[in-house]
Amino acid sequence: MSGLDFEISQRPDFAIVSVQLQPGQSVFSEPAAMASMTPSLKMKAGLKGGLKKALGRMFAGESMIVNTFTAESQPGEVVFAPGIPGDLMHYRLDNNSIFLQRGAFLAHSEGLEMSAKWGGAKGFFSGHGLVLLKAQGTGDLFFNSFGAILEIDVTDDYVVDTGYIVAFEDTLDYKVVVLPGSRPAKTIKNFLFGGEGLVCKFSGQGKVWIQTRYIHPLLSWVYPFRPVQSKN
Amino acid sequence: MQYEILARPATAVAKLTLESNESITCEVGAMIAMSTGISVETTSGMKGASGGFFKGLKRMFSGENFFLNHFTANQPDQTLIIGPTMLGDIVHHDLRGGSLVIQGSSWLASDVGIKIDATWQGFGKAIFSGEGLFWVKATGEGSIFLNSFGAIYEVDVDGEYIVDTGHIVAFEDTLQFKIVKAGASLIGSFLGGEGLVCKFHGTGKLYCQSHNPPNFGKLLGPKLKPR
Amino acid sequence: MDAITRNRPSFANIQIKLQPGDKIIAEADAMASMSANVRMKTRFSGGMIKAIMKRMFGGESLFVNEFSADAPAELVLTQGLPGDIESIDLKGTTLYLQPGAFLACEPGVTLGLGWAGLASFIGGEGLFRLKVKGNGRVWFSAYGGIFSRDITDEYIVDTGHLVAYEPSINIRVGLAGGIFSSFFGGEGLVTKVRGPGKIYMQSRNFSGLTAWMNAHIT
Repeated sequence: MSGLDFEISQRPDFAIVSVQLQPGQSVFSEPAAMASMTPSLKMKAGLKGGLKKALGRMFAGESMIVNTFTAESQPGEVVFAPGIPGDLMHYRLDNNSIFLQRGAFLAHSEGLEMSAKWGGAKGFFSGHGLVLLKAQGTGDLFFNSFGAILEIDVTDDYVVDTGYIVAFEDTLDYKVVVLPGSRPAKTIKNFLFGGEGLVCKFSGQGKVWIQTRYIHPLLSWVYPFRPVQSKN
Repeated sequence: MQYEILARPATAVAKLTLESNESITCEVGAMIAMSTGISVETTSGMKGASGGFFKGLKRMFSGENFFLNHFTANQPDQTLIIGPTMLGDIVHHDLRGGSLVIQGSSWLASDVGIKIDATWQGFGKAIFSGEGLFWVKATGEGSIFLNSFGAIYEVDVDGEYIVDTGHIVAFEDTLQFKIVKAGASLIGSFLGGEGLVCKFHGTGKLYCQSHNPPNFGKLLGPKLKPR
Repeated sequence: MDAITRNRPSFANIQIKLQPGDKIIAEADAMASMSANVRMKTRFSGGMIKAIMKRMFGGESLFVNEFSADAPAELVLTQGLPGDIESIDLKGTTLYLQPGAFLACEPGVTLGLGWAGLASFIGGEGLFRLKVKGNGRVWFSAYGGIFSRDITDEYIVDTGHLVAYEPSINIRVGLAGGIFSSFFGGEGLVTKVRGPGKIYMQSRNFSGLTAWMNAHIT
């Protein structure tokens, strides 16, 4: 099956992808990702699990809510933009698998199957659930980040703070540990917003994509600027 | 120590290459990724004999996060990627004698040869206290990495130059400064949004940031849930 | 005027080299830094009543600053949000901007408030828009990177992504469910634009950021 005709622009800080669909082609995206599109494209909303799930947690084994864009008799364009500032990457799967951090999924072509996977016992992504997404099959995948995406080719061992992992190939082994030499997780937990001093040690051969920022500190930074609740 | 700054100007990180026994200090939370031949020590002050590396540390980190990570390579050619929490830029400054005055949240990392004094009060308390700004003074010899909100641009001041106070990242202390009103009249200055600005004069390097954190906070904050 | 927009699209800012006789008008608080000999004069944006209207409905500041210099000088202008800045040379022409998008202009350009029409009214959004017209350059800013599309037929834009458009563009705002036959998962307000004409979009939606943050605030 031929791949999607796409173009990624505005990297690495406000990246978007524009996809040109030929008649008969479809692309699937996370809800609310559409920035603009040609009216002739047919859109279908995936309502499985209800719309609230789009922002809520995902549970193991449940497939995701997606919107489907299909070009019927005419070609058309759809432009996808993530909700947060950051980067966007394309990865071509060729009968292999890749794991994504839950918020990183943006869109994919036909030929891929997306599912949820439990990431392991320790808090993988700052307590927001232990769920990784798994994409497998043959096709095009688009994932996004907060901050710029750096691609690292792991050949031996490599350590990444868990909040900064975007995606990694399934050829890598991973283990979540406390950053060696630092204070144990329970004491620095207080002031590492969500990070808990946990890092992920990758080993083997494969690619890991990391992001250069972590969005949760933005929530504490903006706290003084939020409106104050009146006490009535 | 070799360094490379990637993803400028909005999500910049510093990729450092450390040789055996080379070391760098940054605040806890700055580490993004690293090779495994690096050991990490968490402290609340300087590594080594002369304490007081960070004077006034509690104030610098406003009660949170006042722990530092000291990374030391125990093998050659080790990589360490560090970044700040805010969106913005990073720039490297080579300090060779003299001092650099740095806006408090703009210090990212520095060499063992650098001492940071977070009790410096050169601007006085009155002017900037409302904006939660404070300043630190770096002295010594070695590398300092600065971060910002916005893109960093350097101005080689030779004469006079005016900067809106929220846009100052750091400046060499060979520069003198004075807080002045921005426009012809004080009322006009405040209404025009600029209020008081900082006028530098002399000769020296000035690092500015293109964006102003409180201005972003004031646009973002009101749209969020009340606290 | 010698003006360069640097650091596009993430933290765009305008570096201007003012010559004697040059004048630039910018919204309040746009100045990041400037040579000490730059003169800054503050005034109401277009007269007091108009300024109040622009503040209330146009998302713009009540006051504007006029910058000029008697000798060559530098001025750096910026916006509050991380994002892009684009500039257009108006030649007796008009451009519509979304509220808050105006940043600066040369003296031959006027900034006004336009009625966007009842067709674009959805719960108070989109009633007004900014209108810049005249002769000279205008700079507008966005959250995200600015990119454009030349529209010949019709095109659909998520409303939070539309920044500016030429007057020949016809716009119709509605809920995704209203304009489209099928319910559109996750999409809120969308704008259907009809050409011919050019539209400018921003690659992020500010309410996408605030929605994400509100969902994660415990």
